[in-house]
Amino acid sequence: MVTTNRIDHKWGMVVDLDRCTGCQACVVACQAENNIPINVKSFYQQRRAYQWIRIERYWEGEFPNVKARFIPILCQHCENAPCEPVCPVFATYHNDEGANVQIYNRCIGTRYCSVNCPYTVRMFNYWEPKWPKSLRNQLNPDVTIRTRGVMEKCSFCVQRLRRGEINVERRGLEPLTGERIPVADRKLNHRQMKEGNYLPACVQSCPTNALQFADQHDETGPVKEHFEEANEQIETRHHGGHVDEDHTRVYRLFEEVGTKPNLIYLKKVDAFPLEKA
Amino acid sequence: MAATEPKGHGQHADMWVFPDASVMTADMGEKTNAMPRPFTMGLAVAGILFILGIVGFVARAADDGFGEIGPWGYYMAIFSMVFMVTSGAPLAAVAFRFTKSHWRRPLSRVAELFSIVGILNLLMFIPLVFVLPDIANPGEVAEGELAVRRTIWFEGPIGAPHAWDLVGVGFLAITSMAILWISVIPDMAECRFTATGFRRTIYNKLSGGWFGTKRQWNSQKAGLALLGAFYFMTLIFMHFVISSDYAQSLIPGWKDSIFPVIYTITSLQMSLGVILVVMFIMRRWGGYEGYIGKSMFWSASKVLLGITLLWVYHLFAFFITFWYGRLEIEQNIIKYLVTDTYAIIFLLNLIFSFAAPFAVLLWNPVRRSAWGPALAGVLVLFGGLMFNIRIFVGAANAAPGADLYKPIMERVPAPVYPDIFDVFMVIGGLGAAAFIYLLSTRVLPVISLWEVKEGALYQKWGKLIRGEYLILGKPE
Amino acid sequence: MQEGKPLDSRQVNRELLVSILNSPKWFFGAIAVLGFIVLVAMSSAGFMINQGFGVTGLNRPVMWGFFITNFVFWIGISHAGVMLSAILRLSKAEWRRPATRAAEILTVFSLMTAMTMPLIHTGRPWRTVYWIYTLPFVPYDYARGIWPNIRTPLVWDPSAVYTYLTSSILFVLVALIPDFAVLRDRTTGMSHRIYGMLAMGWQGNARQWKLQIIAGVLLSALILPVFVSVHSIVSWDFGMAVSVKSWHSTIFAPYFVVGAVHSGVSAVAFVLIILRYIYGWQNYIRHEHIDALARLLIVVATGWFYFFVMEVVFGFYGREADEIAVRNLQFTISPWNIWMMIFVGMTYFLPVSIWLSKSLRRNLWVMSLACIFVNIGMWLERFLIIVPGLARKQLLTFDWYTYRPSSVEWIIIIGTFALVSMLMLTIARVVPLIPLYDIKEGEILRTEIKIGRVTVPAVFRED
Repeated sequence: MVTTNRIDHKWGMVVDLDRCTGCQACVVACQAENNIPINVKSFYQQRRAYQWIRIERYWEGEFPNVKARFIPILCQHCENAPCEPVCPVFATYHNDEGANVQIYNRCIGTRYCSVNCPYTVRMFNYWEPKWPKSLRNQLNPDVTIRTRGVMEKCSFCVQRLRRGEINVERRGLEPLTGERIPVADRKLNHRQMKEGNYLPACVQSCPTNALQFADQHDETGPVKEHFEEANEQIETRHHGGHVDEDHTRVYRLFEEVGTKPNLIYLKKVDAFPLEKA
Repeated sequence: MAATEPKGHGQHADMWVFPDASVMTADMGEKTNAMPRPFTMGLAVAGILFILGIVGFVARAADDGFGEIGPWGYYMAIFSMVFMVTSGAPLAAVAFRFTKSHWRRPLSRVAELFSIVGILNLLMFIPLVFVLPDIANPGEVAEGELAVRRTIWFEGPIGAPHAWDLVGVGFLAITSMAILWISVIPDMAECRFTATGFRRTIYNKLSGGWFGTKRQWNSQKAGLALLGAFYFMTLIFMHFVISSDYAQSLIPGWKDSIFPVIYTITSLQMSLGVILVVMFIMRRWGGYEGYIGKSMFWSASKVLLGITLLWVYHLFAFFITFWYGRLEIEQNIIKYLVTDTYAIIFLLNLIFSFAAPFAVLLWNPVRRSAWGPALAGVLVLFGGLMFNIRIFVGAANAAPGADLYKPIMERVPAPVYPDIFDVFMVIGGLGAAAFIYLLSTRVLPVISLWEVKEGALYQKWGKLIRGEYLILGKPE
Repeated sequence: MQEGKPLDSRQVNRELLVSILNSPKWFFGAIAVLGFIVLVAMSSAGFMINQGFGVTGLNRPVMWGFFITNFVFWIGISHAGVMLSAILRLSKAEWRRPATRAAEILTVFSLMTAMTMPLIHTGRPWRTVYWIYTLPFVPYDYARGIWPNIRTPLVWDPSAVYTYLTSSILFVLVALIPDFAVLRDRTTGMSHRIYGMLAMGWQGNARQWKLQIIAGVLLSALILPVFVSVHSIVSWDFGMAVSVKSWHSTIFAPYFVVGAVHSGVSAVAFVLIILRYIYGWQNYIRHEHIDALARLLIVVATGWFYFFVMEVVFGFYGREADEIAVRNLQFTISPWNIWMMIFVGMTYFLPVSIWLSKSLRRNLWVMSLACIFVNIGMWLERFLIIVPGLARKQLLTFDWYTYRPSSVEWIIIIGTFALVSMLMLTIARVVPLIPLYDIKEGEILRTEIKIGRVTVPAVFRED
């Protein structure tokens, strides 16, 4: 075991539904970054499309007062992940940085993890992934290609996070300028992640900044206050109080199932709400 | 003793008894009329406990009234215990008759007599009807509360669950007494000629037209079978209802499909235990050793061992399903009922409902004796008492007031200790059941004459190769 | 309860060994057909492993379908063995005698068949085999310190099933010792040597019989906890899942066990009727045995129905929207609700109505149909628990879907039935499927007594 001066981050993501337009840029970026197989038409028809982040679209109301609601759903990296205890080969586990990671080499494809995931964010390789020759140069060398029979899911672009940690915390180089950072200050913060493209691909590509990603303890990052609010909500509920849901935008998906996700959603503010009958 | 020497082969000596049919009626008549000293003392003790129970009940009613369920936790526990034991006992007679177990014959009437305690069950249940909170949220439905709390009655038809539960408990009492009556008719008909006084009046009234014709015997057999099956189904249903309404529905967030099954199994375990205890007392001190051979204990203890193992298996199934997912809702239930609040009661429950009876019943020589199964019976009765206290005191105090209408239990409450009136009510309930049962044994013969005589017809002692064994006729 | 005439030992030997010592012509035809089906199934499995899981009907979210249903089904069938031989032996039911051997053998083969299912249903079976089976060469994982995750029901599964398989095989072999000795004494050459080895020097003296009886009782008692735990653990594959609400029910363990006994005993009854017909064993598998099996099945089926009702009631009890969504699919949406009605009818109402009538119990055609219905119904039960739960997993309706099995899955499922039948027919040529000494013991113990003017059949009892 190599001892390092590793700083343990606690990654968190905030999805602001008020800003999400459902443009699917995040989906495309994720596909490009993580060597996700090309989704041909038959995959969609078979309901086997590989989408580590997907935009779910729900219709609300009756014609002509119809609204479309979008919610990007990706792996919530739950603290109490139901997918973790059920893998027979320890192919999925919770790393020190609060993310739920998948080890493709170990996976034997029992699919229990996907069965136990309430968000159904885990994808199974039903076919051997193929890329046309022309697209092979587009593949990201930092990310493994998965074979058929293996489970995969969002990893918070762990390859980018690692690269950021190596460059900033180990080598001590500022991303944009390249100047040396003094040893005491070597901690990857949000600005450095943004400048060095160490944020996950979906976050980087979102045109409206609906996706925000940072260390939950990072004072300069955009997610800290939301996580603090979410944790406060949990404390309040734990002590028997109730949370006034009309006066806060913060919520977690399927909180009642008890998975403790590391991903927070901010409710959409309805400028023209549909009239409730 | 109206029997020849008990017989058996090898290590199974003393297994079989061969009661003599010709002297059985007179013998049983004598025994039913007798009031030996130890019996009257037992009756007196039971009576005193009964009175203490009434004192406790009155004091509790005066102190706390019938508005809230919290103070009535221990009363619920003792009701449930008496209900479980005495409603499950006739099932032993029904079930073993159904499986045609030859060793059940002395046990049937002992089991069926418990149905008379059904009247006590009904009376004890009436206060609980008033005490059970409504299904619908009585106050304003606040944020995070349910309009109708979770019950098996869903939105609640009229009178649910209070009236239906009462009807159910009463119905159960009536059905079990009907089984008792049909079973005891031939015996009453036979004994009425030698009985005197109030017994003669009762026997005459209740068995008037019985002459023992073939048609009457066939009808009796069919009636017992049908009523038995019906009782079985009604009993399982009432266990489901009582365990859901008075326990599971009162603890928010406790969604447990196996709990009615655990409740039923605990009931069967305790009923069989109490029957074994009674049969041991009868054999050892009551002078019934001519009717009760070791074979009854040998076979019934196997059943008790099986039920004990099933009990711990179902408990584990509940525990592991709740524990595995580390969900807060389920963790709170486990903390409340198993590991934190009622931890000591749970440990006692586990030891006395599983570990100790298992250790006792594991050994062949112990199962072959009469004291072994009886000891196991005492252990499971105590274990069942711990079970009822844990569940029902827990249920009564889980969610005071408006908390009952929340979907989950957010805080794990503290344990509730009994005060003197609770103790009076618990021992009073046990005493009351014992008192009524003992009285009933003076009115009706406690051994089923017709069944034992029928069994005697099918039993012979015969030689095979070099040993002597029981020959058991199997007409069906 | 003992109908039929008394049988003497020679007759018993001659008639029950007919399946081993004779080679009827239909046998080779049957094996050829079944073997062909098995080969087709194996090639389908090979095709699936080669091409990937895309050839099945599985998708996201329904990631478990026919294969898991079939796995649970065959584990269920395997519970008949212990029920009939262990439990009925311990409760001294005389009518178990012809049924025990066939039940135990069916247990062994259905367990083996069941274990092929999780193997082929993993995404990378080659790595699964490497991970499990390459001991004593330590597989890659263990050599790097990654032992199996014992917290997962998927590891409890093989532990329980292999324990059950091992103890069942042991049980069968020990129970077969006296019968192997009979065969040793009636064969020559290679068969004689092999049977001699398996008979382990059995001479049939008093001491050996005593040990044999004690061994039988001990093994029966010891296998009982294994029997209960196996299907409980298989049910916990589903019971431990927190996101599929309709699966997260505490009652799954006893529910599945009783269901397993139900389907297993029905399967054994069916097998017995077939055996009676193809080998002419009318003296041994009598109407009274099928009658008794049917009456046992009434009790087991009613117990099963109780657990089923409990599961459904408490499913609705929680009034959680995600669970109600699953129940809606199961009970109100076509074609699931049609399958649901068929399943409940075939598993409980139809067979129990048949079994309540004495004349129908004794009609072997009707009984075989009833037993087939039970097994179809129980297969459907597993399917209706697994797939609707996954099709409506949580309230993300965007991800709700359905499941349509592909031909590969159908072929493999049918292949497993053909495999078990083929194995049973083959083993009938090696091992007597009705225990010789059990029947002879029954004959020794039977007698008669006279009550008044009636002669009643009776049996000698030691305890």
